[in-house]
Amino acid sequence: MNGSPVIILVRDLKIGYGEKVILQNVNFQIRRGKMLVILGGSGCGKSTLLKNLIGLYTPIAGEVWIEDGNLVAAKGTERLRLLRKFGVTYQSGALFGSMTVMENVRLALDEFTALPGPVKDLVALAKLKLVGLGDASQRLPSELSGGMQKRAAIARAMALDPRILFLDEPSAGLDPVTSADLDHLIKELAHHFGITFVIVTHELASIYNIADRVVMLDSRTRTIIAEGKPAELRDNAADPWVRRFFNREPDPVSAVHSN
Amino acid sequence: MRRFLLKNDSFMNGKSPQNELDLDLQFGPPGYARVALRGRLNARTTVTCWDRLQQELRDAKLEKLEVDASGLRFCDGAGLALLHYLNMAKMTPSATVSVRGLEPDLEKLFLGFTSGDYEAFRSAARVKKHSLPEEIGESVSLAVADLREQVSFLGNIVTSLPPSLLDPKQMRWPEVRRVFELAGANAVPIVSLISVLVGLVIAFESAQPLAQFGAQIYVANMIGLVMVRELGPLLAAILLAGRSGSAFAAEIGTMKVNEELNALETLGLNPIRFLVVQRITAGILLTPLLTFYATFMGVLGGVLVTLILGYPPALIFHQLVSSVHLSDVFLGTTKGVVFGAIVSAVGCLRGLQTQQGPSAVGVSTTRAVVTSILLIVIADAVFSVIFFILTK
Repeated sequence: MNGSPVIILVRDLKIGYGEKVILQNVNFQIRRGKMLVILGGSGCGKSTLLKNLIGLYTPIAGEVWIEDGNLVAAKGTERLRLLRKFGVTYQSGALFGSMTVMENVRLALDEFTALPGPVKDLVALAKLKLVGLGDASQRLPSELSGGMQKRAAIARAMALDPRILFLDEPSAGLDPVTSADLDHLIKELAHHFGITFVIVTHELASIYNIADRVVMLDSRTRTIIAEGKPAELRDNAADPWVRRFFNREPDPVSAVHSN
Repeated sequence: MRRFLLKNDSFMNGKSPQNELDLDLQFGPPGYARVALRGRLNARTTVTCWDRLQQELRDAKLEKLEVDASGLRFCDGAGLALLHYLNMAKMTPSATVSVRGLEPDLEKLFLGFTSGDYEAFRSAARVKKHSLPEEIGESVSLAVADLREQVSFLGNIVTSLPPSLLDPKQMRWPEVRRVFELAGANAVPIVSLISVLVGLVIAFESAQPLAQFGAQIYVANMIGLVMVRELGPLLAAILLAGRSGSAFAAEIGTMKVNEELNALETLGLNPIRFLVVQRITAGILLTPLLTFYATFMGVLGGVLVTLILGYPPALIFHQLVSSVHLSDVFLGTTKGVVFGAIVSAVGCLRGLQTQQGPSAVGVSTTRAVVTSILLIVIADAVFSVIFFILTK
């Protein structure tokens, strides 16, 4: 089970905006082909952590190792090499609105490979077919539903066959069926391509369905409060707040009593 | 029988083992060829592999092509795409192609994509072209629809403005004050600079030709008339359109994209009364002031030039006062009021018309500035005609 090599290693990460520290002492690792879910209440810094992991923000201190390179310290071509190892999808999909779905997926292929045109078309089409959008390639993002946009974003993130995919709230705003479809797609991708997933989400159903491990953040202690398999955390977590989170129980202090 | 072998050191000079690929191409009996791939077929090796295969297979008259992928240790999306391309017989149109030996997982992925998918994409990719009459018809119908919207918007303002002005609660005067400050007070530095420079330039340019007739002192008369009647109001209005009309459109457009306008409607608040009336009131109040100021600064620029030319201040003042009448000042101010209403109303209208999509707000701001300037110039022409008739 633990045989696959470590692909992401986060060591003593301290992140924040300017002087304001949002999270500190963040340590965890992910093995190849596994799915890690980053969890936490609203405003605890999940998305900020993700942005630090993918190099959009620079952490105050600490290291983020992507396979053999520390992304925090990497500069120039080394940084580009590391960036090419992963794909990212954003909460809103962040598809380029002026390009068709096909052009969105082809963009990275056009920029970073010397592949001939028909091969690029075929690569992009195959990715779109994989996420179930084979017949929507000529549409503009604004003509797609929310679920389709998220899937198109996954196809775009996968264009260069990255080993890691970071997904920020992939099922936010989707109905349960579409959300379950997306979970299924993620599992398929992990199975067929050995892609490692790091997912920020709130959807408990998704978490039980897909996560190998969960890292739970806490805004009070500003660090990781619990880590492990989701079912274990639900039943045996030391912190009552974690158990409440997994069992969807209201906070006894702030709960509104009707009587 | 001809055999062509491409060893891995052709790729990346054999430096990186990650780029290893052996391509073994054998031409067997006439009409038959076999491609064996061994190693790693990735985005880099696929490129070289493609070039070689194109080169070798282009002129070969093949009936059967066999692709043996059993030696592949790694194959990514680009590699699969190459195999698909070969399998669809795109490189060898006359041949039947078979790809075999793929690992079960890869085979499943490979079979998940068919030539039908590719053909469907290719046919959809052909751009639909419109004929010229169709395009003309479409733009005329769009222009008519836009005109109708403008008229309906005008009606909306006319019915909303008076009740709002009479009821201080509805008016939201603090918002008017905020817009007044942003669009008016904050525009003073740029209006000063541009007006002074325009006044200077016009005076300088005209001083030379007028000197030939010994009429250089009339630079003062000209600059007075031109600034008060024409350029003062025009400069103020055009700057307002560029600075604030576009800002109104962007602000209201972003609100529309974020569904804030829908939120207003469902709260029972009319966006025209809540957002537009304040901006138009501020526009109408501030533009005459800005016009006065632009005129003053423009005249100042002209006066500077005449002073430099050596005329005494008293003479310049006399020339100015004798040439500019009260009716001219009245005309300039009226223009300011009308231009202010046009700029702020057009900015708000374009904001409200914002469509969905990432470029929608940009389109709205552009349309706001273009329409404002167009309407300003048209209104200016109408003013000239009316003034000509009235003073005849």
